[in-house]
Amino acid sequence: MSQSASKRRTCSYDMVEVRLDGYTLTGTEGEMYFCNARCLCIWAVQLATRPNLADGRKLPGVQLTQPTGEQRTFADVRELAKWSVANALGGLELMSRDLQESKTRLEEAQRIAHVGHWVWDLGNDGLTWSDETYRIFGLRPQERPMNVEAFQKMIHPEDREFFLRATQEARGGARPDVEYRIVRPSGEVRIVYSQGAVIRDVPGQPRQRFGTVQDITDRKRAEEELQQTQFYLVEGQRLVHMGSWALNPSGLFEYWSQELFKIYGLDPQNGAPTLEQYLATVHPQDRDFMANTLERMHAERIGCDVKKRIVRPDGEQRYLRCVGIPLFEGEVFKGVLGTAIDITEQELLTEKLERQQAHLTEAQKLIHTGSWAWRVRDPTAVEVSEELYRIFGFDPAEGAPTWEQYFERVHPEDGLKLTGIRERAIAEKAYYDHEFRILLPNGKVKWIRTVGHPVLSNIGDLEGFVGISTDITELKSAEQEREKRRQLEADLTHINRVSTLGEMAASLAHEIKQPITAAVSNAEACLRWLARDQPDMLEMREAATETVKEARRAAEIINRTRSLFQKEVIKREAVDVNEVINEVASLVREEGARYSISLRTEFGTGLPKVSANRVQLQQVLINLMLNGIEAMKDTPGELIIKSQRDEQGRVLISVRDTGVGLPAENADKIFNAFFTTKPQGIGMGLAISRSIVESHGGRIWAQANLARGATFHFTLPHERVISA
Amino acid sequence: MTAVPGLVFIIDDDAGVRNAVQRVLKSVGLNAEVFAAPQDFLRRKHPDVASCLILDVRLPGISGLEVQRKLIEAGIHIPIIFITAHADVPMTVRAMKSGAVEFLTKPFRDQDLLDAIQQALEGDHRRRQEQNELAELRSRYESLTPRERQVMTLVASGMPTKVIASVLGTSEVTAKVHRSQIMHKMQAGSLVQLGRMAEKLKVPAKV
Repeated sequence: MSQSASKRRTCSYDMVEVRLDGYTLTGTEGEMYFCNARCLCIWAVQLATRPNLADGRKLPGVQLTQPTGEQRTFADVRELAKWSVANALGGLELMSRDLQESKTRLEEAQRIAHVGHWVWDLGNDGLTWSDETYRIFGLRPQERPMNVEAFQKMIHPEDREFFLRATQEARGGARPDVEYRIVRPSGEVRIVYSQGAVIRDVPGQPRQRFGTVQDITDRKRAEEELQQTQFYLVEGQRLVHMGSWALNPSGLFEYWSQELFKIYGLDPQNGAPTLEQYLATVHPQDRDFMANTLERMHAERIGCDVKKRIVRPDGEQRYLRCVGIPLFEGEVFKGVLGTAIDITEQELLTEKLERQQAHLTEAQKLIHTGSWAWRVRDPTAVEVSEELYRIFGFDPAEGAPTWEQYFERVHPEDGLKLTGIRERAIAEKAYYDHEFRILLPNGKVKWIRTVGHPVLSNIGDLEGFVGISTDITELKSAEQEREKRRQLEADLTHINRVSTLGEMAASLAHEIKQPITAAVSNAEACLRWLARDQPDMLEMREAATETVKEARRAAEIINRTRSLFQKEVIKREAVDVNEVINEVASLVREEGARYSISLRTEFGTGLPKVSANRVQLQQVLINLMLNGIEAMKDTPGELIIKSQRDEQGRVLISVRDTGVGLPAENADKIFNAFFTTKPQGIGMGLAISRSIVESHGGRIWAQANLARGATFHFTLPHERVISA
Repeated sequence: MTAVPGLVFIIDDDAGVRNAVQRVLKSVGLNAEVFAAPQDFLRRKHPDVASCLILDVRLPGISGLEVQRKLIEAGIHIPIIFITAHADVPMTVRAMKSGAVEFLTKPFRDQDLLDAIQQALEGDHRRRQEQNELAELRSRYESLTPRERQVMTLVASGMPTKVIASVLGTSEVTAKVHRSQIMHKMQAGSLVQLGRMAEKLKVPAKV
């Protein structure tokens, strides 16, 4: 009861203190208006509801059993009261002090619990508030007297009407338990909860309302937040297809979230499944594994992180990842709390990715190609495919090698160039394509072709490069092999040409020797007939006739051979003389090297193309070059092949040696057939060369050098002149 | 100039050449038969006169060296003169080793050919003569009785009659009779001549 209320009302009641903390309010006639619970306890009386006490009825005689065991019987409460007074230890002072203490405690308790109380005098609408009530309403305790009107102004406008309605009902005697918002003078909105009871006067008319008010703002907000959190959690679970569950210490499911039921396609109405029901949902191939897992979790009190498949009642198969953690309170195992996420899509994607990755790896292996990527900002962090490890001789099982390790494998002779190409590619943001060698620890050398493509950002900055590196060692050796074979073929063609010529010469010789033999023999027979004492004219005529016939046959064979050669169609095309010189020089260079003779070309620029038969032109050049080499066999020197334009605009080609020079006599006969100064020569080379050059409309001649050796020149009219 | 008469065969696929060669031989009085292919020559019956073969090395389908080998295999011992338009050393060596008389390169001098033919015919003639003599000796030897052949062996080994008699266990007179019979049958003028005959016949020197 509030202090002010007791002050005002003391005059109407006899206030009797019974014990230190038990008291009653009794009327002059001995009727009791109120007694507190402590009082009843001390009296050890069982009374009906306390409001009945306030009816003012006289209590019947009561028997009191004191704590000492002594029993006393009182005729009525007054008697009891009188006894009580006689036994009082304190008196009014004591009671007052006690009252004060109680009040202080009450106030303290109210402050801590944020509960205030109020008394509403229904007569004058005056309000008596406890200190805490003032505080709840944002006022200083007992700052000003309150009345209903002032109070109602503090109610949140939106709640005012509702509050008034509740209050009207309260006037009628209903319990005005209401929750409403108030606006503090500072403007702050708080939510309060008020409970009240009606206090009636003696005739039973409602005189006062008494109640408590509690600031429930924080609780309300916490509740709202909790609700919000709960909502978010449920939504979140739904969004990520994640459910949660709990196993109790006995290893049985205690809780399944809504989403978990949805994931499993089970009906939440049936509650969390039993372990048997649960295992039935697991894919048959994963069932034993899951049963073992659950058993272990229970036996060893551990969590889990497993992936498994389930089959929904509709037959759909899903992949789930289940993560559980064991819960302990101190040492006590409280079960396992966990989540289950539907990872079917991720799992299928992962499987697809793994499959693609495997295909890619396999494909790269097949074509000996590895891929890579690096960023300009950190060029050492290289991302590479498995095949690249293999190409560079690293074991994929040992993980990615560092950039330094890669670079160490580059062949020492190629490292500098590779670095240069990289730097230029960065500077120019350009595509690059480069071949280099790597040297493996076992000494094996591989050829690598690397192709890099720049990666540019939206604004055109160079971010890095992606590309591939291919092991082209086999290609390279095949290329070298091809080059060797080409060389061999060229040599063979040459040999073939020479040997065909030899064969033809032999065959021709054989053919011609037959008629010559016959002619000679016939002539000799004729001579013998003539030498006889009596020449047989008939025989002589016959032999002479045969001689003539056979000689003609010989001539016929030679004619036939020439016409055979003439039948060959010599095709001509526009030929770049320098190109042909290069081709032939590459063929002859080795031959020269055998005798320590170096070959040098001096190409004229802007030379017109000539119309020539490439093979014949090659033949002329081979003849002249081999001649030059032949001349220098014993005195190593230099063979210079020079191309230029002469005064008439013709292409002039010179082959200059530092050899034995031209023969002192017969220098003019060197281009004749069968003229040779060489022990093995047949004397056809220069003759053929002359024939070819002249058939092209050119001229060929030789000159003795001032110092040593000779120079052979020939001219070829350029294309336009011939076609004109 | 033709010391030995004989027959010359010519095999050459070139008609001009074979006819010309035949003409040269005719001018010196030598008979020649010409063949275009070796098969034709092989089919011909060979008369028992001194003969030789002029053989071209390069024949259609078969080489002259091959023909030479076939003749040897067939037991036809005819001296061969090879002629060729183109000869190399190995070919020459092979031909000569197989018994060729000469290897001439076309066009050859007629005298060289004639010399070779002369040499071949003489050789063939001599060979035939020796063969005839041997055949004659063999028929005489075959007219001896086994006892006489026995005695002839001992006589040819230079054994005196006395010793022969003791070896054979007969009287010296009997041995002498045998000897004179042998000399008569073999038409030997002296013991030395008989010894040479035994040698040619390869009569065993000892029994």
